[in-house]
Amino acid sequence: MAGLKSILSQSTSIVTRKTGNEYVLVPITNNIADMNSVYTLNETGAFIWEHIDGKRTVEEIITELMNEYEIDKQNAESDVITFIGNMRKYLIIH
Amino acid sequence: MRNFNLNIAGYNIGFEASANGPDLKPSARFLRNINQNNGSDILIRVHSEPFNLPKGAERVFRAPYVEELNGIQFNNVTSFWSVWEYHSELYIWTIFPLSSTEKNAVLKFSLTSMEWDLWIYGTREETDPFEYPLDGLILYYLTVINGDIMIHASGVNNTGHGYIFSGVSGKGKSTMAKLWDNSGARVIHDDRLILRNNGGIYRMYNTPVYNDDEPRESILNRIFIIEHGAENILIPLKGANAVTQVMANCIQHNWGAEIIARLLGSISIMCGTIPTSKLFFKPDKSVIDLILEHE
Repeated sequence: MAGLKSILSQSTSIVTRKTGNEYVLVPITNNIADMNSVYTLNETGAFIWEHIDGKRTVEEIITELMNEYEIDKQNAESDVITFIGNMRKYLIIH
Repeated sequence: MRNFNLNIAGYNIGFEASANGPDLKPSARFLRNINQNNGSDILIRVHSEPFNLPKGAERVFRAPYVEELNGIQFNNVTSFWSVWEYHSELYIWTIFPLSSTEKNAVLKFSLTSMEWDLWIYGTREETDPFEYPLDGLILYYLTVINGDIMIHASGVNNTGHGYIFSGVSGKGKSTMAKLWDNSGARVIHDDRLILRNNGGIYRMYNTPVYNDDEPRESILNRIFIIEHGAENILIPLKGANAVTQVMANCIQHNWGAEIIARLLGSISIMCGTIPTSKLFFKPDKSVIDLILEHE
C-alpha cells in the first residue's frame, strides 16, 4: 500500500506507447503480452504515469497534478490514489 | 528449379536451394506472384538435411493445431509450430499438417538479417519452401521487421478511395466486402490484409496465403472497426482508443516486448494518420451510402 511519502517507479513488465496525450499500456508476463488486459490512460492518467519516475513521492505527484490542472488537493489526491490502486500491478513501491 | 523470387505485398522474397538442397517448386497459388527480377528484400536458403536447434534455445511461443468441424474438435496436435530464441537468433520449428508427406522444417532467422536459412527434412526431392504454415509465418515476421501490420480485415477500393473493415471472425468482414463488390468497388481481400507505410502513404495488400487471388493492392484512406448492428452508426475513434481497437484485430504473436513495442508503434503512427472509426452496420447498401456521405 503506497503512502504519501512513498516513492513509486514503473514496472518493466509493461510495454507502453504514448499516442497524443494518452498512453496504451500492454502488460507482459514471462515475455508474453496479455492482450486481454491492455490499458489506456487518458490525459490525467498519462500525466500521473509520466511523473512516476522513481524519484517523486506520491505527495509530490499530487502537488504537481494540482498545479498542472488547477484542481484542489482533495480531487488531485483522489485521482492519484485511485490511479495507484488501479495500476498497482505495474508499479514498484519503494 | 534451384531458385525463384516471389513478390507478395510488396516484399520480394527470394528462395535459393543450397548446394545439397532440394529442387524447389512453388505452389500453384503463388505462380502469379513469381517475380523475374534478380533482386530480393530477403533471401531464404533452403537445405535438405535435419537441423538441431542450438542447446540453450528457449521456446518463446507455441501454436497448437486444431481442426474443427461443426464445432467439434478433432485432430488436435499440440506441437504444430513453435518459435525458439537463442541470443539474437530466432527459429521456427514446424510440421506441415496439410502435406502429403511427413516432414518437418526449421527456419532460422533474425529481426535484423535479411538472409535466412530453412531446413526441410523428410521430404521428396522437390519441395515447396513456402508451404503452409511457413507462408504466413514468413510474411508475419516480414511485417514485424518492416514495421508493417497484418490485420484481420476486408479491404476495398472505391473510385480510388481505399477502406478497410476490421474485426475478428463473425464481425462482418466478408459481408461488407460483398456489399462493396455488388456496388462495383474492387475488393482487395475479404479477410486478411497487410498494411504498409511508405513515406506516410499507407497501402493495403492481399496475400495468396489464404486464397489464391491475383495480387491486389490499394491506397488506404480510412479504417473502420466493424460490428453488426440494428442501424448504421459511425463513431470517430481517436488516440489510445483507436490504437487499442485496431490492435485487437491484428494478427500477432504476442511474445517479446520488442515485437509488441514495434507493433504498438506502427499502429499508433497509422491511427495518427488514417481516420479511424467504429462502425455498426446493417448488412445492406445503406452502410455504403453512410460511408460515402462522410467522405
